Amino acid sequence: MKAFLPLFIGLVTAGLVAMAWVESGGLALHEMRSAGTPQEAVEALVTDIQSRNWDRAYARLANSNDFEKQAFIRDLAGSSGSLRTYSSLESFKVWPVEAGADDATMRVRLNWSSAVGPLDDVRDLEVKKEGNVWKVVWPKPQFAKVPPQVIPVNYLRWDVIGRGPTDDWGVQNVDNPNVRITSMNAVERPDRVVIVGEVVNEDTVPAYVNVNATLLNSDSKPMDQEGSFDMISHTLLPRQVSPYRIDFPGFHLQQVKSVRMDVKAMLVPASADPVIAVTDQKMDKDPLGKNVLRGALVNQSGQTVNIAQVLADYYDANGRVIWVSDGYVDQALEPQVAVPFAVDVPDDVASKIHNYHVLVNHYSIHEGS
Amino acid sequence: MLRLTACLLLLMRLAAFGEVHPPAQVTAGKGFSISTTGSGDASFYLISPGHVAKREVKLGQDIPVDASDVKKAGRYLAIACGSGGCNSAAFYVMAAEPDKVSFFLHPSRVRVKSNDAINATAFVFDQFYNLVLTPVTVDFKVIPKTGPPIDRPIKSNLGVAWMRVASTPKQGPVKVIAEVGKASEPRVIQQVASDACNLRIKATRTAKAVLIETDPLRDCSGNAIPDGTIVSFTEIDGKGKTTVDVPIKKGIARTQLPVNGRAKISVASGVVIGNEISLGGGL
Amino acid sequence: MNSDSSFPRRPIPLGVIVMIAAAIHAPLLIMELPARTSYDANFHMFFASHYAQHWFNPWNEKWFAGFSQTTYPPLVHQWIALVSRVIGLNEAFSVVMLIAVLLIPVATYGFAKLWVDERAASYAALLSVFAGTVAFLTYSAGQLPTMMSAPLYFIALSYFYRWSHSAEGGSLWKGVALTLTAASAHHVTLIFGAVLFALPVLWLAAMDGPQDGRSRVAVVARALAFAALSAAGVGIVLLPYWISIIQHPITQIPIPHASRSNLLMSAPIFMNYFIVPYGLLILAFPFIVIRGASVPRLRVLLLAFWVTFLIGLGGTTPFPKWIFGRAFEILTFERFILWATLLALPIVGLLVEEWVDRSGGRAMAGIGFAAVGTLALAMGWLTWSPFRPTGGLNVDAAVEFLNRDGHDQYRYMTLGFGNALPKISTYANAGSVDGEYNSARLLPEMTNYGAGQFTSAKYFGTAGMESLRAMLKHANHYGLKFIFVYDPYYDPLLVFAGWRKVETYNSGQITAWSKEDVPPARKIASDAMPAPWEGLLWGILPLGSSLLAIVLMVLIPDRVRAVDNLVTIPSTADEGVYAREARP
Repeated sequence: MKAFLPLFIGLVTAGLVAMAWVESGGLALHEMRSAGTPQEAVEALVTDIQSRNWDRAYARLANSNDFEKQAFIRDLAGSSGSLRTYSSLESFKVWPVEAGADDATMRVRLNWSSAVGPLDDVRDLEVKKEGNVWKVVWPKPQFAKVPPQVIPVNYLRWDVIGRGPTDDWGVQNVDNPNVRITSMNAVERPDRVVIVGEVVNEDTVPAYVNVNATLLNSDSKPMDQEGSFDMISHTLLPRQVSPYRIDFPGFHLQQVKSVRMDVKAMLVPASADPVIAVTDQKMDKDPLGKNVLRGALVNQSGQTVNIAQVLADYYDANGRVIWVSDGYVDQALEPQVAVPFAVDVPDDVASKIHNYHVLVNHYSIHEGS
Repeated sequence: MLRLTACLLLLMRLAAFGEVHPPAQVTAGKGFSISTTGSGDASFYLISPGHVAKREVKLGQDIPVDASDVKKAGRYLAIACGSGGCNSAAFYVMAAEPDKVSFFLHPSRVRVKSNDAINATAFVFDQFYNLVLTPVTVDFKVIPKTGPPIDRPIKSNLGVAWMRVASTPKQGPVKVIAEVGKASEPRVIQQVASDACNLRIKATRTAKAVLIETDPLRDCSGNAIPDGTIVSFTEIDGKGKTTVDVPIKKGIARTQLPVNGRAKISVASGVVIGNEISLGGGL
Repeated sequence: MNSDSSFPRRPIPLGVIVMIAAAIHAPLLIMELPARTSYDANFHMFFASHYAQHWFNPWNEKWFAGFSQTTYPPLVHQWIALVSRVIGLNEAFSVVMLIAVLLIPVATYGFAKLWVDERAASYAALLSVFAGTVAFLTYSAGQLPTMMSAPLYFIALSYFYRWSHSAEGGSLWKGVALTLTAASAHHVTLIFGAVLFALPVLWLAAMDGPQDGRSRVAVVARALAFAALSAAGVGIVLLPYWISIIQHPITQIPIPHASRSNLLMSAPIFMNYFIVPYGLLILAFPFIVIRGASVPRLRVLLLAFWVTFLIGLGGTTPFPKWIFGRAFEILTFERFILWATLLALPIVGLLVEEWVDRSGGRAMAGIGFAAVGTLALAMGWLTWSPFRPTGGLNVDAAVEFLNRDGHDQYRYMTLGFGNALPKISTYANAGSVDGEYNSARLLPEMTNYGAGQFTSAKYFGTAGMESLRAMLKHANHYGLKFIFVYDPYYDPLLVFAGWRKVETYNSGQITAWSKEDVPPARKIASDAMPAPWEGLLWGILPLGSSLLAIVLMVLIPDRVRAVDNLVTIPSTADEGVYAREARP
């Protein structure tokens, strides 16, 4: 017992630790780091990217001589306060597209956790065998450079002075902006009811807008109330039109007798800049075969837009809004540089789309709001 | 207040003695006297809608009431309580001459040439902020930036006078004044341009793109559409559709769009659609 | 030096050890260090502040749009609330924590004396003052209830032994009262302690009984009587807690916690949950195992230490998952390190005794260095740790904002405030939809996502941010109008979701955001609201059990032991009685 018990405790402890190490992926990690297969090579690279071990990730590249490490880091970690700088790689999945003896193409889906929600990024990576080790050929990062120039900007801004707490009764306040819902359509999806439509600011001043909807049942009693949240442009300039979408998860249209719409509009300070053009818009398919609306954003102003959100509403042949989708762009919009985007469109909706309208929401660090 | 009144009334019922005789009607802010009968010392209470006053008086003499005690219009109760019990009488204090006017003008912004779009409501008060319930004439003066002023006298009903008026064809501030006697309360309403009328664009080629700009944007009355109003340009070419929402600056909206081959460019602002221009290839 | 009467060969008086503990920890606690450096100090003060204002109403509207404080044993919070009436909340927390810290060597001394001789027990008690886990739980974790209940329970176990072994009636009542008090401070300690600490002590009493001429059956019967009384007492004293846990069992999606991870997969986590709390005690592990195994009397203690040690490793071994099942995902494991240390200390005390006997001053210098080094490492880790809390953040501006202009009609949320959130909640009148106590959360926006607090959403990745989005989507429903941000990471989401920055404080470090169309907050109906009689019980029984324990400890003095009767067996002996408790 005197010798047995320490031995027993030692061996069992070591055994348990080893079991958990294998269970936690320690062994797989060790094997993966050897990069003995194309799959392992890509997984090892992405694991290093995930842990932000840039030195080791860069060393795993077959073409590291083609570009600087800083460019590689900027490609993955983002720059200029872009959404990528607010993101961390949460998980990934790697699968082969083509495999040969000395080279292969692997497809990787990167699942990023970001400040505005999850982001997916699918990339095809070429992998080459060098001796016993496979290495990834990383697409050479391309960063558009803007030539030095002066962009004249006539700042247009609205400020608001409201009614003060010490003003006499009867001193009138400035009226809230006149905002109108111009269309509304209730759409049935497999797991939810979705209300889509458009809202326009009919006033001559900017408006803070929020659209809420209440589903009413057959007794005209409210079943649920939801808001447009980030599926709308909350700040609408005069005559600007924004799509909106309100989701009611877990409901079906047959339960709904009517929908009560409620648009709240308030007067807020706002700026008319930046102006962002949406170029080359077209319906397309992504590498996974899903329908997307593609295009590029061009910031026509002189200051960087850090995060942009694309809101698109789609019309059928009768001009009715049948769907609204959105997507955040993970690159910053540098002045005058085209940045591509793609937003998903459900397959059943894509076949009915006759036209679409795209709006760009934006966030700039220097503005803050 | 009610509890106190109830207690006092109860006391009065217990025993009546000398009576108080106030005038039937009194004007707010003017002093007067209340005559009494009987003799001896008594406590005099004056219960008004705003406050309660108490002082010691001699019955059989007039009780002077200060102007400051009757500032609030409404029903007053004068009570005298002595050793024999209490007695009371009610009287009314009416609002004094019109002296102030509270003026609501709605909305603060209105499109030009809109019927009955401006709503003016005035409340007439005396100097103590009592609503003047007797009919008085409120003079509404509408003074546009350009064009002749409009004068519209309206008789108040239970202290309120109101009117509706159409906005004029020209944008800019409109001053609306409500006057009652010496009291005058001005408000300013902004008449703003209506939807763009005859929205037209023209295109000029540059080295890599095409510069598109609108003609100066005006509504059908010739008012300039305010800066900041969004104008949407749409261009459809071989690479797809390009859209850009541009705010009007200095009266026109301007943008540059890349063009690939033949292209059609159209323009819209809100619900108004402008002209469409076609560009040939070779840009 | 080798004389029996020389200082190193005599037990260190307990009073001296307590004085040393006070000398080390009292200044740090008077400085209110845990309020600035620990994770949970603000949380416990928040609970206490509620009792200070609503002693008999455990329903607290300030977190989760309303939650019941009967979900957490109240004793330490109620004592803080009482003391805070005299000296303020922060100071009251420090005083109660100091009492817990001073009880640690007292408990270690009493517990160790069951297993080893008095001198070794005194060494164990002295070393407990310097234990890394004590400093870690006090200044880094701020786990006052664990710190208070562990020594109370270990002291109760001494009486449990005496009652079971010697049928001392006074020990029964004192032991049961202390057990109830320990449970009122922290129920988890009691539940695990019943197996990890009480069973070895019962085994010891059962082994010692026949050798002292007592029936083993009687010993076990008395132990069962003690257990039955304690169980019934705990059932009554914490009745509202049991009702709440039965009514709302913890079914939410598990929230990740670093102590549950495999410590070997991350150097900072390994440092935080192994190196720092154990310190240089790690070097003694092989000796603990060898020495514990070589003495039959200590083998059960060794096994208890080993099992507790394995559990304390969290996900580093599959063992905790096997024994706890789903509960593994709810528990946090740093407290097991404290318990493992307390279980190991009697054997360490014995080792120290042997080393001092063998090497005299050199051994003492080495052990002293190791002890001070362990404490120093734990204190230094407060600065070096990558997991530094934000409890020291100045939140006065946020509190002032919430308490003016009717802002308390609405609910609020903080983002990036970490464990400074309870500090705002303590002093602001407004309620929050967030909160730091995961087990009391019932809002679906929190329980369906597997993330912790909204204020730390980004650290839970997609789950955290999705949970935050779900709550922001329902802002109008909850009257959630104001959001305070200490981390600009959250700014983009707020902008896109329609919040607007309204004020800036602390030179731009903290920003206040508002959503214009949110209606004032309304009461959110909940079936978790305790009945008034539960509030009454909750306000009386836990505190009452502690007062009863104090009264019994004063009124029923421990029987005096005859020190000269102490049996000291040569340390190499491996059979029979090793260092049994002396009898008069």
